[in-house]
Amino acid sequence: MSSLRDRLDRLRAHSASSKADESLGGAAAEAGNGVSSAGAVGSSSRSGADARGSAGPSAGRERTTKDTEDKGISGSGLHPALAALHVEEVAGEYGSFLRRRAVYPLEHRHGHYVLSELIHCARRLKPIAVRQNRKRGTPAADALPEPMDIEAQRLLFLDTETTGLGVGSGNLPFMIGFGYADGEAGTFTVEQLLIRHPGEERAMLAYLLGKFAGVTHLVTYNGRSFDWPVLTSRFVLNGWRPSGVEPGHLDFLHPSRALWKNTLPSCRLSRIEEDRLGIVRGEDVPGSLAPELYMKYLSDGDASHLRGVYIHNERDILTLASLTVHFGGVLEGRLGAEWALPEEPEELFRTAAWLADHGGEQHAERLFAALIAEGTPGGRWLLPAAARLKRLGRHDEAAGLWERAARLAESRLLPSAEAHIELSMHYEHRRREPGIALDYASRALDLLQRRTSLRQSDRMRAELDAIRHRLARLRRKIEATGRLG
Amino acid sequence: MNPLTGKAATMEEWLEHLKLNREIMENVTYWHTQPARPARTAPFPPELDPRLSAALGARGVASLYTHQSAAFEAVRAGRHVVTVTPTASGKTLCYNLPVLQRLLTDPSARALYLFPTKALAQDQVAELQELADAMKVDIKTHTYDGDTPPTVRQVIRNAGHIVVTNPDMLHSAILPHHTKWVKLFENLKYIVIDELHAYRGVFGSHVANVIRRLKRICRFYGSAPQFLCASATIANPREHAERLIEESFALVDDNGAPAGEKHLVFYNPPVVNRQLGIRRSSVLESQKLAALLLRSGIQTIVFARSRVRVEILLTYLQELTKREFGTKSIRGYRGGYLPKLRREIEKGLRSGEIRGVVSTNALELGIDIGQLQACVLNGYPGSIASTWQQSGRAGRRHGSSVTFLVASSNPLDQYLIQHPDYFLGRPPEEARIHPDNLLILLDHIKCAAYELPFEAGDTFGGEKLVDLLEFLAEEKVLHENAGRWYWMEQAFPAHGISLRSAAQENFVIIDMTEGHRVLGEVDRFGAPTLIHEEAIYLHEGVQYQVEKLDYPEKKAYVREVNVDYFTDASLAVELKVLHVDKERESPGGAIVRQYGELMVTAKPTIFKKMRLRTHENIGSGPIHLPEEELHTSGYWFSFSEEAAAVRSANDMQSALLGLANVLVHLAPLHLMCDPMDICVVPQVKAVHTKQPTIYFYDRYPGGIGLSQRLYEKHDELLAEAGRLIEGCGCLSGCPACVGPIEEVGLLGKDLALGLLQRTAGAAG
Repeated sequence: MSSLRDRLDRLRAHSASSKADESLGGAAAEAGNGVSSAGAVGSSSRSGADARGSAGPSAGRERTTKDTEDKGISGSGLHPALAALHVEEVAGEYGSFLRRRAVYPLEHRHGHYVLSELIHCARRLKPIAVRQNRKRGTPAADALPEPMDIEAQRLLFLDTETTGLGVGSGNLPFMIGFGYADGEAGTFTVEQLLIRHPGEERAMLAYLLGKFAGVTHLVTYNGRSFDWPVLTSRFVLNGWRPSGVEPGHLDFLHPSRALWKNTLPSCRLSRIEEDRLGIVRGEDVPGSLAPELYMKYLSDGDASHLRGVYIHNERDILTLASLTVHFGGVLEGRLGAEWALPEEPEELFRTAAWLADHGGEQHAERLFAALIAEGTPGGRWLLPAAARLKRLGRHDEAAGLWERAARLAESRLLPSAEAHIELSMHYEHRRREPGIALDYASRALDLLQRRTSLRQSDRMRAELDAIRHRLARLRRKIEATGRLG
Repeated sequence: MNPLTGKAATMEEWLEHLKLNREIMENVTYWHTQPARPARTAPFPPELDPRLSAALGARGVASLYTHQSAAFEAVRAGRHVVTVTPTASGKTLCYNLPVLQRLLTDPSARALYLFPTKALAQDQVAELQELADAMKVDIKTHTYDGDTPPTVRQVIRNAGHIVVTNPDMLHSAILPHHTKWVKLFENLKYIVIDELHAYRGVFGSHVANVIRRLKRICRFYGSAPQFLCASATIANPREHAERLIEESFALVDDNGAPAGEKHLVFYNPPVVNRQLGIRRSSVLESQKLAALLLRSGIQTIVFARSRVRVEILLTYLQELTKREFGTKSIRGYRGGYLPKLRREIEKGLRSGEIRGVVSTNALELGIDIGQLQACVLNGYPGSIASTWQQSGRAGRRHGSSVTFLVASSNPLDQYLIQHPDYFLGRPPEEARIHPDNLLILLDHIKCAAYELPFEAGDTFGGEKLVDLLEFLAEEKVLHENAGRWYWMEQAFPAHGISLRSAAQENFVIIDMTEGHRVLGEVDRFGAPTLIHEEAIYLHEGVQYQVEKLDYPEKKAYVREVNVDYFTDASLAVELKVLHVDKERESPGGAIVRQYGELMVTAKPTIFKKMRLRTHENIGSGPIHLPEEELHTSGYWFSFSEEAAAVRSANDMQSALLGLANVLVHLAPLHLMCDPMDICVVPQVKAVHTKQPTIYFYDRYPGGIGLSQRLYEKHDELLAEAGRLIEGCGCLSGCPACVGPIEEVGLLGKDLALGLLQRTAGAAG
């Protein structure tokens, strides 16, 4: 039997060759290049990050312990790259970790919005909070009066950078960034906690826990299913046990999808920033590279790898504030008033529908009115918008939209017959015009047959049967009326 | 026997009648009878909760069998316990009783149940829930598996008293997310592992590591649960439990359950060509016996070794008995049927509505199908333990039962059928695992590090942990800081690691005859030979032809057909030696044997169309599929120039093939492993040695130590092979020794024996 070492080495040789194969896939190789160039750019200019802001942040210093207990990678003192970012070491009961603090004046503009608008807009987010925090059965929901008013100063804008994907116990948040507003002081503070190695995690978590005091909601992007479960798991791993009281959530991923799913190529935060919030990121390390950069830092101790991660994370936190303003403004009814309506009808429709779902029916009505006005290009919004009118009993308006949808369908190669069927029902039951109803039904049959000639399914067969049934009934009706007449 | 219906009033009557049937009895080589055994009972233990004894009383249980009582005592004494009793001896009570007792007195306590399959888990939950309901107590039992809806999962994590799951789920969902299971792990008092014997070989080696991880997590949350295990009969239950769990165990094997008289009939199909040593097909003979039983109104289970055979037997039986029964009362059962269909069949068997079932070893495990009266084994199941396990499907607590073992023409079957004492006198196989297999161990160290960082001084498995951790740190999988090793990769390690190499990924079979309907599944290893394009895929006795196999998407599209043939595919196997670990030369230098690492590539080549019933070849076609790779350990020996020189390549080919045919059947006997676990490949001029060589390799990635044992038993193995060939009564080779003449040629037997004898000085 060969030694363990020999066997391990052979294993390594084997896995090395298979890894080489994988990198041929392209993604891994490209990612490698991306890292080095981003790192180089990152270290060249510090001011780039806030140049666009009307006022820059000032770095705060607080209880800094230098070198004393630093078992850090750089050996002694903080790495120059960290010092340049105004990172400082914080020591506490559970050990030390690094913190970066940037204090923005509330007049700071991040894209379209100014941070001070937070104070006003946050209150409008109640419908989102109610929807996202109900029926969880946790003591928190019972202990806190619900619905709770949202106060900007009791929100924590949170974003973590982790070493991996998923919420398993091996995924380590190496950077926890959070922001909070202080109306009296007129500031918005961003703090970013970093651990130099996993051993510092407990100290970082203890510090974070202190920051939860007085916080009613975490403002996140996908925090409900990612950041928060990850943090909960880390608390347990480090010896804390769930107390049953948890902060509420204001997770903007779901509202963002509701608005932009069909009109943006993706609902990634960076995409929304650029296309909807007026934020220009410029050179940015994509969040997906953060784990790799941190692992590089762990292995060579060169903190300049982390520069891009710091900037990316800080920007994400500011963007959470922008989203708060945006959704608060939408719920307040600013669209079509102070703010322009969404340009694309699809987005206009989705925004209106979302507003209606969140208690903004009267604002929604204004958006719907703009949508169904003459001249709005047709699209897939027509059918759901018509369905809404039908639900509200506004049948003739609905019919108008169906007619547009039907014309649109007939111009397609493989159309849906839904509008025709709706019209057939409309004319049969509401307008009592079986002749027109028959015409629509038979056109629906034509359209459906075009589809079924290419693909058969049980659902289609059922639809076909239903139309044939309808046609037969309409013919009988017409015949009967004919005889009577 | 009722002369009008042909139905027997009792099994005894039927057996008496059978003994008069010359045509059958001519082929019976041995008739073994196990006498009936009365029950031995013990009163309920005095400390047993009155609610529990009342609930049992309501079910007609007034006392315990001795083994149930012994298990209860041992658990109460704080021991880890392994119970070994045959099928249908009330073994679930051995663990349910102490668990329920504890939960009744301590509602915060938790128990985790592990079953090798989802189906078994569901049976168990139903039974526990019934007991809890009968006691009118709030003991929540839940299955937690891939089918559990996400909405229910959270409730189970926090409030389930008994969580029933499988090792795969524990490995990939529970342990990596242990922080969500704080309540369970902090209060875990019992871990129940049933069907312990199923955790052997590679699967068992993986599970042993999953248990190491489980115990590690329990320690983290401050619990030290007791393990309550149950196993079917194997030779080494305590040793196996102790290797799998790495704790010291109390063994309970004194079975107090009653059993009726049991008949084991060895049946050898008649020889149809004496010179060639060809016997009638065991499929046809099994079918004959099963039809005889079914027509007499006896509920019967037929076991066949492959899925194709199950389907073929099913088709025949349904046809033969379609006048007496509808096709619905004779069913097939195998992996690949969808769960819903399986549940339906199990239920039909319990209610007696289904009179006959043809199954693979899928029904060997403790799935509840009630007790049948008769069992027909089409071919030796491969191990003594499996044979007893399968035959245990027939046998009631009162009244007789019968099992027919119908030998196929393969040498192992022929050896056993002619040497019944060998079978009856031998203990069942040992269950073997090799949890420190480096590949397996390393995989689980990764998973374990993901779950919790390792600390200096920790142990995990038998190898030096620090070396493995350092290796993983060098590979940048772990990060070391101040004597702790942290997971530091983006990936989620459990996703890439499957506990069951053979069933890793399933191919879905989609019937396009009418719309799209999912018909069943085939595992990845089965796919190339079962569902290649143009293959005839049999499902519940209906023929389907594969029209398209979407290999990357793992989907096969089939359409119903009606043809008079089935298909049989061949695999081309290539071997490459990667590394030689050990080498030894026989004293005369005639044989060199080596042990090391191998890469095996298998590629399906062609398929043959075989006519139903006559099994004649009526056509063939190519298969275009990518090859499969297997990195494993192997043992091989080659004959020297001198030994090889005196033979033509053709003769050497026959000699090697003959020898390999003998060894392929002898090796599992020596290893006491399933014949499927080990492969034998003869090569006249091997790439590696340039000599005539016979290779053995473990049929699992990384190997599980089988070839290594063969390497050590080399001399004994060859001596035994020589004796077997010499002692065989055939003229010049038969399926019971070197193989039929068609395969090894007229001189095959002499050539193989000659080769052995010329190197014998060395070998013996």
